[in-house]
Amino acid sequence: MDLTVHLPRNLILKNPIIAASGTFGFGPEYARFVDIDRLGGVSVKGISPEPWRGNPPPRVWETPSGLLNSIGLQNPGLSAFLAEDAPFLRTLDTVVIANIIGHTVEEYAAVAQALDREPAIDAFEVNISCPNIKAGGITFGHDPDAAYQVMRRVRQATDKPVMVKVSPNMAEPWTVAEAVVEAGADMISAINTVIGMAIDLKRRQPALGGVTGGLSGPAIKPIALRIVYEIARRVRVPVIGMGGIQSPEDVLEFLLAGAEAVMVGTITFQWPDRMEGIIEALPNVLARYGFQSLKEAVGAAQRPALADEEGLAP
Amino acid sequence: MAGAFKALIVTVRQVALDHVELIVEHERLRDATPGQFAHILTPGTLRRPVSFSRIDGGLGRAGLLVQVVGPGTAWIAARQVGETLDMLAPLGRGFAPPDPDRPWALVGGGVGIPPLFSAWERWGWRHRAPAHVILGARKAALVLMDADFRQQAIEPLVTTEDGSRGIMGTVVDPLRQWLSRNPDGQVMACGPNGMLARVSALTEGIAGPVQLALEQRMGCGIGACLACVVPSVPVGPDGPGYRRVCTEGPVFQREELAWSWI
Repeated sequence: MDLTVHLPRNLILKNPIIAASGTFGFGPEYARFVDIDRLGGVSVKGISPEPWRGNPPPRVWETPSGLLNSIGLQNPGLSAFLAEDAPFLRTLDTVVIANIIGHTVEEYAAVAQALDREPAIDAFEVNISCPNIKAGGITFGHDPDAAYQVMRRVRQATDKPVMVKVSPNMAEPWTVAEAVVEAGADMISAINTVIGMAIDLKRRQPALGGVTGGLSGPAIKPIALRIVYEIARRVRVPVIGMGGIQSPEDVLEFLLAGAEAVMVGTITFQWPDRMEGIIEALPNVLARYGFQSLKEAVGAAQRPALADEEGLAP
Repeated sequence: MAGAFKALIVTVRQVALDHVELIVEHERLRDATPGQFAHILTPGTLRRPVSFSRIDGGLGRAGLLVQVVGPGTAWIAARQVGETLDMLAPLGRGFAPPDPDRPWALVGGGVGIPPLFSAWERWGWRHRAPAHVILGARKAALVLMDADFRQQAIEPLVTTEDGSRGIMGTVVDPLRQWLSRNPDGQVMACGPNGMLARVSALTEGIAGPVQLALEQRMGCGIGACLACVVPSVPVGPDGPGYRRVCTEGPVFQREELAWSWI
C-alpha cells in the first residue's frame, strides 16, 4: 500500500510517521539507533535565534501512562544549529521540519528567515504552545490575535511549508488554529503537551525543577484525539496529529479523527525503533480495518460538517 | 542499527537492604567501560539508567546493582535468572583510565559505590602508586561491595553516618586526610550530589584529575531530549550552562560542573 502523504507547497512525506519535536534531538543523536531515512519526517528540537539555557533539573518525571517534562526549550541557538546540525540533516533522505521558537514575533521571523535559505530544512513548525517557558511561546499560543501576528510575520519570511503547533491548554484550541490559517499557515500540528504537575513526597517539593511541566504519552491520547477532531472539522488545511501514539492502531485513530499524518514522540524513549515498526505494520493495519488507501482513512470518523450539524439543530 | 537488545540475566543476588545486583550477559556489553550505564526498559514510560558494577568484557557480562527507590527499580530488582532485560547499552562517557603512577582515591557513597568497584576491577591490578578506597553508607546494612573490594586485594575504609560500621561520619573526613598526605593524587568519586559537592570542594587544586560520576533523572539516555542535565560551566548572568549526564557524562571532570547551582 502506498503510504505517501501529499501536503501543501509540494511537501511530500514517504509515509505519515514523523518524529515529534523535542523527542528526537537535532537529528544526529538517534542516527545510531534508528534508520532515520525510513521515517516520513523529523521535526527537530525547537530553535531560537540565541541559545536558551532551559529549566533547572529535574526535568522529567514518570506518571501513570505519561511523562511530565520541563526541559524549557534548551537549545544552542540558530548559529550553532546551522554550524553543527544542519550539515548532518542535509544528508538525510527524509523531510526535515525546523521547529522554531522565540520570545517575540521578530525572533520567530528571524529564525524562519535564516532557515528559509538552508537546504536541510524542508518545512517549519511554529511552536507557540510550549508550556515550559515564561516569556514568549505560550503567550502567543493562547491568544488567537497574537498567534495570527506570529504566523503573518513567519509567512513573510519564508515560502517553505509552515505548520503551527497548537496548545491543548485552553478551552477552544481551534480558535488559534483558525487564526493562523487565516494568517497563511499551510498546516496545523496538534497537540503540544498538556500542562501538569507532580510532587516529590521525599523532598516535599514539586517534582520538576520548573515546578510545572508538560504531560505527554498515552495519558493524553484522548485529549489529543478530541482536539485533532475538532480542528480538522473547522480548518481546510491538513492537520498533523500527535499525543501518546504507541502503535499503528493509535495512528489509525488519529487518521480517522481527521489527521493526514502524525508525530510520534514519548514512545521513542522506550523503543527507539518503534516508529519503524509502526511504518512496517501500517499497511496491514489499514487493510485489516477495511481501508484501501491511507487517504481513505483520513477523516473517516468525522461526523457531518459543522454547518450541516448546526442546520439540524433545533 | 545498534538499537536496544535483550541481555540474559545469569545471576541475581541481594547485596544489602533494598539493593540487588543482577549479572547480565550479551555480546554488546563486551566494550563497556567503568562509569558507563545501561538504560533499562521497565513497565513505566521511562527506562531506568543503571551504571555497571562490574564488567567482564571477555564474557560480555556486566553487573547492574539496583537500589529499590520506586516502581521502576522494584520491577528490575524482582527479575529472575533466565529472564532478560531490554537495554540500550553501553551508554555515556565512562571514567578515563587512572595514571598508574599517581596515588589514587576511589570514593563512593551508597549506590554510587558500584561504578567505582568496576573501575577498581578494571584498573586496580596495574596500579603502581598507592590506592585508597573509601566507602560511605547511612548504616551498616547499607554498605555495598566492601567484600568485593577485599576480594580484589584492597581493604576499603568504611564510614557509616550512625557509626554502626567502620568510622562514624561520612567519606569527607577520611578523604581530607588522604588528600593532605597525597596532594599529587587523583580522585574518582560517585555518590549523592551533596557528597560530590564536598569532594569537589576538597579536591580543588590537587595535582591529578578529579572525576565525578553523577546521577540524574533521565529521558532518552542518548542525548536527544536534554532532560538529564547538570548545571555546568560557563555560568552566565542568567544561570549556568546545562550539560547532559547521559552523553557528556555521567563522568565529569570537577572543573566542568557549577556546584553552586547544583
